[in-house]
Amino acid sequence: MTGLGALLLLLTAVLGGNARFDLPLPWSLADARLSLLADPLSRWFLAIIALIGLPVVLFSSGYLHHLRSRVSLGLVWSGLALLLASMAGVVLAANALTFLVAWELMALSSYALVASDNHQRSIRQAAFTYLGATRIGTTALMAGFLWAHQLTGSWTFADWHLQGPSALGPGLLILAGLAVKAGCWPFHLWLPIAHPAAPAPVSAIMSGVMIKTAIYAMARFFIVGGHLSAPALGPTILILGAISAPWGVLFALLQHDLKRLLAYHSVENIGIILMGLGVSLLGVQWHSPLLAQLGLAAALFHTLNHAVFKSLLFLSTGAVDAQTHLRDIERLGGLIKRMPWTAGAFIVGSAAICALPPLNGFASEWLLYQGFFGLAAGGPDVASRLGGLLLMGWLGLVGALAIACFAKAVGIVFLGLPRSTEAEQAHEVTPAMVAAQAFLGLLCLALGLAVPTLLGPLGRIAAPLGPSGPLQAAWTLPVGLLALVLVLTLSALAGWMLLLARRHPARTFITWECGFGPLGPRTQYTATSFAQPISRLFGAIYNYAVEISRAGRQRRHFPDSVAVETVHEAYLETRLYAPLLRALRHASGVFLMRLQAGSIHQYLIYMALLLMLLLWVGCR
Amino acid sequence: MTALLFQLLSLLVIPLLLVGVIRKFKALMQNRVGASLLQPFFDIAKLLRKSETISVSASWVFRLAPVLGLAVALVVAVLVPWAGPLLPLSLAPATNFLLVLYLLSLGKFIAMLAAMDTGSAFGGLGASREATISMLVEPTLVVGFAALGLGAHSTDLLTIYGAPASGIVAGLVAAAFVLSALAELSRMPVDDPTTHLELTMVHEAMILENSGRNLALTELAVALRTCVFLGLAAQTALQVWPAHAALPLTTRYALGLLALFIVGVAVAIAEGILVKLKWRKVPNLLAFATVLSLLAALMAAAQV
Repeated sequence: MTGLGALLLLLTAVLGGNARFDLPLPWSLADARLSLLADPLSRWFLAIIALIGLPVVLFSSGYLHHLRSRVSLGLVWSGLALLLASMAGVVLAANALTFLVAWELMALSSYALVASDNHQRSIRQAAFTYLGATRIGTTALMAGFLWAHQLTGSWTFADWHLQGPSALGPGLLILAGLAVKAGCWPFHLWLPIAHPAAPAPVSAIMSGVMIKTAIYAMARFFIVGGHLSAPALGPTILILGAISAPWGVLFALLQHDLKRLLAYHSVENIGIILMGLGVSLLGVQWHSPLLAQLGLAAALFHTLNHAVFKSLLFLSTGAVDAQTHLRDIERLGGLIKRMPWTAGAFIVGSAAICALPPLNGFASEWLLYQGFFGLAAGGPDVASRLGGLLLMGWLGLVGALAIACFAKAVGIVFLGLPRSTEAEQAHEVTPAMVAAQAFLGLLCLALGLAVPTLLGPLGRIAAPLGPSGPLQAAWTLPVGLLALVLVLTLSALAGWMLLLARRHPARTFITWECGFGPLGPRTQYTATSFAQPISRLFGAIYNYAVEISRAGRQRRHFPDSVAVETVHEAYLETRLYAPLLRALRHASGVFLMRLQAGSIHQYLIYMALLLMLLLWVGCR
Repeated sequence: MTALLFQLLSLLVIPLLLVGVIRKFKALMQNRVGASLLQPFFDIAKLLRKSETISVSASWVFRLAPVLGLAVALVVAVLVPWAGPLLPLSLAPATNFLLVLYLLSLGKFIAMLAAMDTGSAFGGLGASREATISMLVEPTLVVGFAALGLGAHSTDLLTIYGAPASGIVAGLVAAAFVLSALAELSRMPVDDPTTHLELTMVHEAMILENSGRNLALTELAVALRTCVFLGLAAQTALQVWPAHAALPLTTRYALGLLALFIVGVAVAIAEGILVKLKWRKVPNLLAFATVLSLLAALMAAAQV
């Protein structure tokens, strides 16, 4: 049923035209009604929801089988259906009331999904953290909406035309609320906590699609139509993105839990998308339509691409999890021989997220590079031109770090020798689960090659910013031709190799072990050691330290035991959020507990006081 | 079309000859006679005739990596103007420097995976160090090319090297490229291509399990990448002399080859007199390259 719903959504998005739908409410609530609007921007996001929803639903039926003793299947299926429907509601909403209703439904249904496997205390805690994050985000968002309503007197988004300093207050509040949902720095805290707790298909939807509704809302409020335009917003978004991207990938490099690693990569990719939005806003500000369109197209295209490859990676992780019940990568290994399809899909997804051509990640990052180059070539002063050049290098650094991180993930999880019996006894997952991964893997390739086709709808979305011709012309790469040449060269070389192999067949032998006897799984390189050189270089960012202790009489050369411990600290969590939470708990323990002491007399006084206050406000 | 054929034909000879020249000069620096200039050709021919040994723990990734690596290097070497902008301008969009860098990254990514595929600790060690080095080099290359491209208002290498550039930007970028190329190509003082002491190797550790034709493809890809990187460094250095852009194409090509071999000899001399850096000191060396390309970016931004 959920799959069918997703399919219908896809058809609506692709075939349906622009439409407006108003449902007057039977009661009056500050002059608001349920109102939906489908325009090119919301149809782009509807397509993303449906495109990811389909394979995830296909995958879930097989995946949930191994969770059936711990999880109520009815809860997960209805939660998934509600989540998909409410996301569609968010991107279709035409006024603040409809938006908030759908936004809250989305938050609550995803909370229920994160908490679905609630037998472990850690999962209950993770779900609670996630719930807290959604509350903070919604509070900021509501405050921003109320402020905007106060200034414009309307709930309909189309009526919000605020320019200059007056837009800054509501704009920043709305941005903060959306940033919590998107998981951008410094609000990324909930992502690495909630994702490992949720079942894999739920993580795929949440990381692939749900956090993107915040990107939709940013594009809607700040860029397309430019309803809220304050000069400070562009640089703010650009800087937030520029911090998020390396921050996410640097922390991902240290993770040993595969799902937590992927969650940190969502922070990275949200950063990349936000940089695109920032470029677009700067383009609007500098009256350069091409720059504004390039930034927006890069951001929206990367949103789609990230949805595809991140959900693919989460599904493959789910397949590994379903087979081995392990997510600690130090205990996996050698899965490529046992789960060839899953391994192939994960490698394709990794190459796509590392922006390697000819896959889709490269196409959108290339557009973003062109946006940065546009900043450098068209900037009004030396500082902004230099900024554009440095941002290009910055994105190059992020890309190289992502390659390191995914070489580690693929190498440790899928290649080499299995590091545990669970990994040794794994088998390929069911055909339906493989099909879901294969679909997304092929989509990675197709989206990478079909850029000119996709620039059509992207140009229509960016139409309010200027004519779409220059955007189409900005894509100059002959990717299809190059991919063809690459494939031809590849097959020619492979054919030559096969020809040579006929004369001198290859023989198989053990891996070279320096003559010390057979290699075991324990002699392989580990994820910790793979990441060590880079972690040490960036050690100042996360207080990275390696402590080695040896014990025994001849400790230097023949120790009885060696213990190695690596420590790192997530600054924001320990230095900023932990004291804040402590202060909050202290305040609630000392102050709020007195207010809510369980005495009915006290509560009656509160009610009477509130009634009097309302009467006074109403009569004034 | 003739230019394309010319580029293809020179690809058959120049890269391996360059490797031979570097080895010869290194030998001369060490008071040895050294092998013939054609020795790399003989080596490849020998490796292609031998059978190969593959680890039992290896999968299809190990088989794919050398083939994909060489295919990528070939495509890049055909497109990149390493001996001067010979190709017709209609091919310019395909020579986008971001495309070239990311294509080379594709080859590196699959090579890192192949190194870890055999379950040998050396492979993991080499892959980890390769990832670190390319993390340090990538921003330098991107910023350097972008700074060069700002003058030409283009990110296509063919256009960038076809247009006159600012001398100071080109000089700074050329210096940054030479330093980066040493790291990227695993040459002294970052990595020693002749060492076989496992714990100090980077590139050699990654290909420890490759043999026979598998190794031949890897060596060919390395030769092509050497040619591309040193050639781009030489072309950038030539940009310092603005008048050279006005020379006829054949003269430019000859000049480009001469500059390529001069850079190669310089690399050989450096290998003769430098000691290999401790692994922990490598970032300090590459920091110089990064600073040089940042300075170039500042100059380029100020001049537009």
